[in-house]
Amino acid sequence: MKKNMALGKRILVFVAVFALLGMLAGAPASFAADKVVKVGNIEPLSGPSASVGQQGKCARDLAVEEINAAGGIKSLGGAKIEMVYADSESKPEKGVAEAERLINTEKVNVLTGCWNSAVTYPTTAVAERYGIPFVVPVSVADKITEQGFKTVFRIAAKDGWWTRDQFAFLKDMAKETNTKLETVAFVYENGDWGKGFAEQWKKLAEKEGFKVVLDEPYPSTATDLSPVVQKIKRANPDVLLLVSNAADAILLTNTLAEYKVKPKAIVGSGGGHADPSFLKAAAKNAQYVFDIVEWETDVGKPMVPAFNEKFKTKCGYNPAGESVDAYVAMYVLADALERAASLDPKAIRDALAATKLSSGPAMVASYDAIEFDATGQNKNAALCIVQINDMGKGLERLTVWPKSARHAGYTPVFPAPQQ
Amino acid sequence: MLYVLEDAINGILIGSIYGLTAMGLTVIFGVLKVINFAHGSMLMVGMYVAYWAVTLSGIHPYLALVIVAPVMYLFGYYLQDIIIKPIFKAEKDVREPITVIIVTTGVWYVLDNLSLLVFGPQYRSLQDNPLRGKMFEFGGMMLSVPKFWGFVIALVTAAGVYFFFQKTRMGRAIRATSLDRESASLMGINQYRIYNVAFGIGAAISGIAGAVLVPFNNVYPSVGVLFDIKGFIIVVLGGLGSLWGALLGGIIVGLIESIGPQFMAATWTEAIVYALFLVVLFVKPSGLFGEKYDW
Repeated sequence: MKKNMALGKRILVFVAVFALLGMLAGAPASFAADKVVKVGNIEPLSGPSASVGQQGKCARDLAVEEINAAGGIKSLGGAKIEMVYADSESKPEKGVAEAERLINTEKVNVLTGCWNSAVTYPTTAVAERYGIPFVVPVSVADKITEQGFKTVFRIAAKDGWWTRDQFAFLKDMAKETNTKLETVAFVYENGDWGKGFAEQWKKLAEKEGFKVVLDEPYPSTATDLSPVVQKIKRANPDVLLLVSNAADAILLTNTLAEYKVKPKAIVGSGGGHADPSFLKAAAKNAQYVFDIVEWETDVGKPMVPAFNEKFKTKCGYNPAGESVDAYVAMYVLADALERAASLDPKAIRDALAATKLSSGPAMVASYDAIEFDATGQNKNAALCIVQINDMGKGLERLTVWPKSARHAGYTPVFPAPQQ
Repeated sequence: MLYVLEDAINGILIGSIYGLTAMGLTVIFGVLKVINFAHGSMLMVGMYVAYWAVTLSGIHPYLALVIVAPVMYLFGYYLQDIIIKPIFKAEKDVREPITVIIVTTGVWYVLDNLSLLVFGPQYRSLQDNPLRGKMFEFGGMMLSVPKFWGFVIALVTAAGVYFFFQKTRMGRAIRATSLDRESASLMGINQYRIYNVAFGIGAAISGIAGAVLVPFNNVYPSVGVLFDIKGFIIVVLGGLGSLWGALLGGIIVGLIESIGPQFMAATWTEAIVYALFLVVLFVKPSGLFGEKYDW
């Protein structure tokens, strides 16, 4: 009996402490409720995609620091943007749970995220149910903006456009260099993102007259990719199209080099291939690999060099296309909040839908204006293709396509040398 | 046919490395009767130790074993001594202490997030080491050199640990404790010290596995998770607590993963591995090499 009482007392103390903590934590927020816009961000901050998640976080923080330093949201009395981060660990169920928590407990006004298409897809449904606007900087799966949702706005190009441009690039390069490309192999991570790409590749390959010699999904948690590489080697394709997360992109690139598999062109699809640590970890093996991205550090926009500089100072590495999307997303949001002049989710949503942003720091993007179509897709998002090569300054990513945006003085190596 | 042979050899090589990653788990379970959920994290720590040892000193990756194994032994020894032992003592009347399992899960999270904080989320891989990308080529077959040495190291490690358990005084004490911890204590064996040593050995094996993986795999904070689940399947296949079972279980998984994709999509091999896992649980719950009777 005595023991039970002691236990009861202990529980009481616990409850009291938690209540106190809760009051302390809740207090400042409630006092300053009209001075703060809470933005909930769901990102893979740990787990297999932690690297990109952290980049997205750094890019967002950079934009928000600038916005807040410039006086916050003026139409809301100089309200500051407060970032609330939640970790999805790249798991859909985690993303959904965190969205519920951010909306119900943290009372966020807007959500952003989640990088992994597989996480974003179910998570946007939560936001839609509560009517909370959801800005998607990077998840590219088509279906995210094709659910008929009213609250979803995507900055990045959707995967239909990525695959379309990959094939347009192949066609243009084949013509430019007089290379015959007949066979193509698809190798992709076994998630929403990879499968979405593969489906469209299939249609495009048929349309463009390519012969598909391999169509291979692989688990992105694979610890050994040599069986997959063996399959690629035996299929001997002219072109190898990839969708990979970072860890598997590195493993795949290294294993391809080990088995001396040398297709005429290897084309990645952003994601793992665009991760700054990909270049470092795969190093020489990544030479001549092509990758499709929305943005590159050599984009010909006047504010880009200064942006590169401040991004590198804050985050310690070069910005990648996905970081730029995250950065731009924050400015799109700030612009919408400015016009909404209200924290009502509906007002913010309507303001987002009416976005026509063509000035300010958001214009580091490679295109000239951000506008959403009826589905919430950024109409103007454009893509370019880069090649990893060394122009005397170590391996770097050099824009090669479209030809009008090609890195000055660079001739793409196409097809890749066979030795 | 040549393809199948090539894939089978690759499967055996990588499979024995999987077996090596799971061996620490099986040693710790055999003695402590506790599933160590922090096992993948210990492997991750081992990979980081190997990575930094090679990167900072520029030594040959396998020479780093001389550093990695003792460092990891001490790491495991004190992890058990300082963090797990107190819980063990609190639960000493329970045969399979559940709380200890929960503590190892805690250790897993702490280690993974600690390495995320300390090393950052970047993927690292050893550059310019004498093993990177080296292949044996003969008769149209290509085999990875670091995987081949991994296979050899796995065999040597298994034989070494087996010999240690069979022939040395400490090994006998460990086996006695794993058979019956009360009787062993009555015979004057300090069971908590045995646990420390067993945990140390488990960690040292993880370190060896880490050093074997580093020349051809990436290192990042959550890398252990990939090998964790695989490790559990392997030890259950081979029989929890059995050293050779772990090696064999690993090779079976490696063979399925390596030969399977030539006949189907690579993602299906995972399904086959899990299906086999279930079949073994139904037909021979103690695993292929496990003891039928539990003491």
